[in-house]
Amino acid sequence: MKQFFAFMKKEIIQHLRTGRMFITIAMFCLFGIMNPAIAKLTPWMLQMVSKDLEQSGMQISNMEVNALTAWTQYYKNMPIALIIFIIMFGSILTAEYEKGTLIQVITKGMKRWGILASKFFVLFALWSLGSLICCVITWGYSEYFWDNGIVKHLVFTAFCFYLFGLWLITVIIPASVFFRWNGAALLCTGAVFFIAYLVTLFPKVKEFSPACLMNTMDFMTGAADINEYTFAIGITLLCIVLNIILSIFVFNRKAIS
Amino acid sequence: MNISDILPFLIPLILLEFSLLGYTLWHILTHKNYKHGNRTLWIVITIVGMQFIGPILYFIFGKEEA
Amino acid sequence: MDILKISHISKSFGINKVIDDMSFSVPKHSIFGFIGNNGAGKTTTMKMILGLLKADKGEIFVNEEKVTFGQNCTNQYIGYLPDVPQFYEFLTPMEYLRLCGEIAGMEKGEIRKKSEQLLELTGLENANKRICGFSRGMKQRLGVAQALLHSPKLLICDEPTSALDPVGRKEILDILLSVKEHTTVIFSTHILSDVERICDRAALLRKGRIDTIGTLEDIRRMRGGDNIEIEFCRAGDAQMFAACYKDVMLAGETKIILEGKSESEMIEVMGRLYEKHLPICRLERLESTLEDLFLEESE
Repeated sequence: MKQFFAFMKKEIIQHLRTGRMFITIAMFCLFGIMNPAIAKLTPWMLQMVSKDLEQSGMQISNMEVNALTAWTQYYKNMPIALIIFIIMFGSILTAEYEKGTLIQVITKGMKRWGILASKFFVLFALWSLGSLICCVITWGYSEYFWDNGIVKHLVFTAFCFYLFGLWLITVIIPASVFFRWNGAALLCTGAVFFIAYLVTLFPKVKEFSPACLMNTMDFMTGAADINEYTFAIGITLLCIVLNIILSIFVFNRKAIS
Repeated sequence: MNISDILPFLIPLILLEFSLLGYTLWHILTHKNYKHGNRTLWIVITIVGMQFIGPILYFIFGKEEA
Repeated sequence: MDILKISHISKSFGINKVIDDMSFSVPKHSIFGFIGNNGAGKTTTMKMILGLLKADKGEIFVNEEKVTFGQNCTNQYIGYLPDVPQFYEFLTPMEYLRLCGEIAGMEKGEIRKKSEQLLELTGLENANKRICGFSRGMKQRLGVAQALLHSPKLLICDEPTSALDPVGRKEILDILLSVKEHTTVIFSTHILSDVERICDRAALLRKGRIDTIGTLEDIRRMRGGDNIEIEFCRAGDAQMFAACYKDVMLAGETKIILEGKSESEMIEVMGRLYEKHLPICRLERLESTLEDLFLEESE
């Protein structure tokens, strides 16, 4: 346990001193502000282009903007934030492999699971913090301009996407353990997402894929019951645990040079 | 569109973007070596893409792993 | 008692057999030189001792405990310095040593005391900046400090001097020599003067096998005899004298080298010089160095 805390302290100092922590938090703040801002500006932008469109014969009906628009933006923008997050932290383990900094740590008697556990924990903490910041800011603006009351199951839908993101982020570690090369680890993470996404295209098996948690529109409008996703959430949690176990299992058997 | 409508967005956005820009420029100027590219390139990218994409690009592709 | 015992280990990477049935042991409180060409298997052997690589066959014992691959408890007895140590460069030396100490399970006060002591030993006590600003030599010295932090019984250094300039090399060797009392040191190198300077014992590694092993005197003695260099005053004398011997080498106009002569043969050579009334400028017995041995191995 002492080793785990020592190594985690090192991870936190690393992300603080290399500026990653700051950049990540700034990014989530930015996204949080952008979501309602885009929603707010949509009618104004439509007005700007509607004159041109009217001439070409298109009619723009007056658009109603409300909290739902802001939250729709949230679920449109969060995948981008997730991608940036993954690219930014994709090298969290491979950089140490490539540079060889782990050799001294392991020959000092560091338990290998401790290394992975601290990396998992840091990723978990940063993603949670980032999601929370982004969510709270979007919520605050929506509350100020409109009314969040019309968005159904707000916490649940936000949690769904958060869980999906967490799952994809935890794929980084086993991918890094397998491939040891940053590019390959990222490609692998991308491939895993692609497969998960393909699965959601088939209605019969879509609940077996964590990627189905990305589709939350129906819950927000109240068109679907949240109990539908109980199974998918269970699967995603299972996948996260599997990622952790698998990576530790493989890492214990890897030669490190 | 009323200016008071966008002000709540504008102020924090401007603050955030300038602090991001300032921090990134400080980081670029206090480091000699980069993973890819050189100092001039990164300063240009950071300033041109200052709506957060420039700084993020720098921190992903420019900053040396430590 | 032996601190390290290796028995019949083999290791292949694909079809390439790097270590072939190697056995040797290292007694306590010695400095053991591990000599070999690049690619002779030095680093591979060390990584197997540390449990970073898995041996295909054979067993390794450190302090009479068996080394297992993966999670290995024997690492608590070992301090390791890789050939090019890589650090977390955003930390300062003090912070890095604290991290290492906490990982090794040391007490807080002990870490502090030991770090200060080691930073002083390695001449880094005033380097409070982050490691990213360090020179190669400073990193190597910090590597030694890091390896010695938990007072290991066995210190393993992989080519600690090969990337350094003469001053840096001397510093590292002095440090290694100064820790000899508490720690057994194994270091690999292809710089023979380093071995001759500080080692008590050495092993010569060739093609994944131990070729020669023993104390430095033993190894030197193992060679048949010494070479004799004779410098004549006149060029003609040299050629005439050289014609009398088979294993002779002309090393210049007036210089010849007689190879592999024992002491009695040497006296015979001097007798013949007297018989032929050949004046000489100089006659020297060339003691065989590890260098000769090493060249012989590589041939």
